Amino acid sequence: MPSHDVTLEWINGPTRTVAVDADETVLQATERAGGTLPYGCRTGACGTCVGRLLEVDGVTKADDRTGDGRAVDVDDAFTYRRAPRALKPRHQDDGYVLLCIASPRADCRVAVGSQVQSELVDNPWK
Amino acid sequence: MSDANTNRSESESGHDHADHHHAGPGYATPQAAIEESERETLAYVMGLYVGTDIDEPDFVAVVDLDPDSETYCEIVDRVEMPARGDELHHFGWNACSSSCHVEGLERRHLIVPGQRSSRIHVIDTKDRRDPELVEVIEPEEVFEYDLSAPHTVHCVPDGKILLSMLGDADGELPGGFLELNDDFEIEGRWEPPGEIEMNYDYWYQPRQNVMVSSEWAAPATYQPGFDLEDVEDGKYGQQLHVWDWEEGTVEQTIDLGEEGLIPLEVRFLHTPESTHGFVGAALSSNVFHFWEEDGEYRAEKVIDFEAREHPDWDMPVPALPTDILISMDDRYLFGSNWLHGEVWMYDVSDPANPQRADSLSVGGHFGEVQEVQGRELAAGPQMVQLSLDGERLYWTTSLFSTWDDQFYPEEAERGSVMLKADVDPRKGTLELDEDFLVDFGECPAGPARAHEIRWPDGDCTSDVWQ
Repeated sequence: MPSHDVTLEWINGPTRTVAVDADETVLQATERAGGTLPYGCRTGACGTCVGRLLEVDGVTKADDRTGDGRAVDVDDAFTYRRAPRALKPRHQDDGYVLLCIASPRADCRVAVGSQVQSELVDNPWK
Repeated sequence: MSDANTNRSESESGHDHADHHHAGPGYATPQAAIEESERETLAYVMGLYVGTDIDEPDFVAVVDLDPDSETYCEIVDRVEMPARGDELHHFGWNACSSSCHVEGLERRHLIVPGQRSSRIHVIDTKDRRDPELVEVIEPEEVFEYDLSAPHTVHCVPDGKILLSMLGDADGELPGGFLELNDDFEIEGRWEPPGEIEMNYDYWYQPRQNVMVSSEWAAPATYQPGFDLEDVEDGKYGQQLHVWDWEEGTVEQTIDLGEEGLIPLEVRFLHTPESTHGFVGAALSSNVFHFWEEDGEYRAEKVIDFEAREHPDWDMPVPALPTDILISMDDRYLFGSNWLHGEVWMYDVSDPANPQRADSLSVGGHFGEVQEVQGRELAAGPQMVQLSLDGERLYWTTSLFSTWDDQFYPEEAERGSVMLKADVDPRKGTLELDEDFLVDFGECPAGPARAHEIRWPDGDCTSDVWQ
């Protein structure tokens, strides 16, 4: 079974690398390894499990030489089991990924934890 | 406008009060609930860890409300859910006063849905201070009916249970209603699919053969957080649906327009003879009165909370009246303005013309009172609950985990509080009880959010009368 290393980085917290098989989600693999991530619906509707992609196969946004900001593209890093309904196109363009329904296609590094979820929306009146 | 607007005779409703036999749960009448009930000494309160980095499940807290008890204002027990990620939100009983004629039926089991998980839990409260989780309906069972995101629980006369469901199996629209039987098994979908798109809260008035439901949005819209773009795109609700209660079909849809954005809690007057009720339109910061006249329902804005300027905000801050309730004697409407930081009471003796009686400025972004017993309040008043005698108003401060994080980020770090005001129904006044504080920030696993509140013997938002 092919697997990829997904490095989970909690903002201002620990880092943990999990080997994720091609037929399982990042959330499932993390739980199998005895770890935890925030989650809610486990179907891609609620956004509780969201992570932010930092690096794919050793390439980060800072390495982007094309200027189109697509060096770290979620499509290069993950396949989804079903549509990520909780994410708007702008979120996907910014590298946000729903870890309850995403399986890795490459080694990657992802920012995780509840703080990432709170990045999706802000206070619209402030 | 007549308050005694009865369309159906008692014999038609199958509930003959001339020969009323009260052998089941609850109380024979709302007045009996006031006269025969004892003061609340325990509360069941939703407690949440979902959406935080605390690796714990959500829980039902048992809170001691007996002033003579050594554990007054403490969480004396916590019923933990079997899995994380639920977002416990609203909950309800297996039976209430609408089944007061059903011999052998008891108000004993709490139906506790997970808003995010779609998992439905059943808690046996036979031992009130030590309730037990006894049944779990897994999300996959719910998805089979192309429904998700359970919200409001009401018991239906004769032991069945009805839950409003806000989404389809994908967390998109349409939502609908799920019915459980008295063994807590899924009976099926209550209504023919497609009667409504958006769903949220509902209340039924069986003697009038009517139910009114409201609209939030698709779970995939509101669960990740509040995005103003979604409002502009018409993804949030502004309608009330008037149902034929017996048939489970929508008879009328009322568009409340821009003044009625996000109509949330629906409250009929408790007297079964009335067709009057109220719904709070949270985003527009208005309260609407609805009533039946000449065979159809109408709705009219009767309370309008003005947005306020805040030095730290770019735009005026809306009040966001997120919860309302009606006192058991149908005299007062209470509510909370979550963003402003206010609880209020209106005299609704004439429901078309509510008169402001009193309010408290507490918590939130404008509250005059920002700490109780030295505990800084991290958010505004949200879910309210009133004693059956109308003399004590309690509230908690969490709205919804992702929305809390947008408007009150400190709520996750500090946890919610449960507070209380003493009410004088004769004078129409509210007074903050500074001696009362339940601090969910002190939970052993870390700060928890707190949401809906219920009393073991029924409360002002649980019971319906035939």
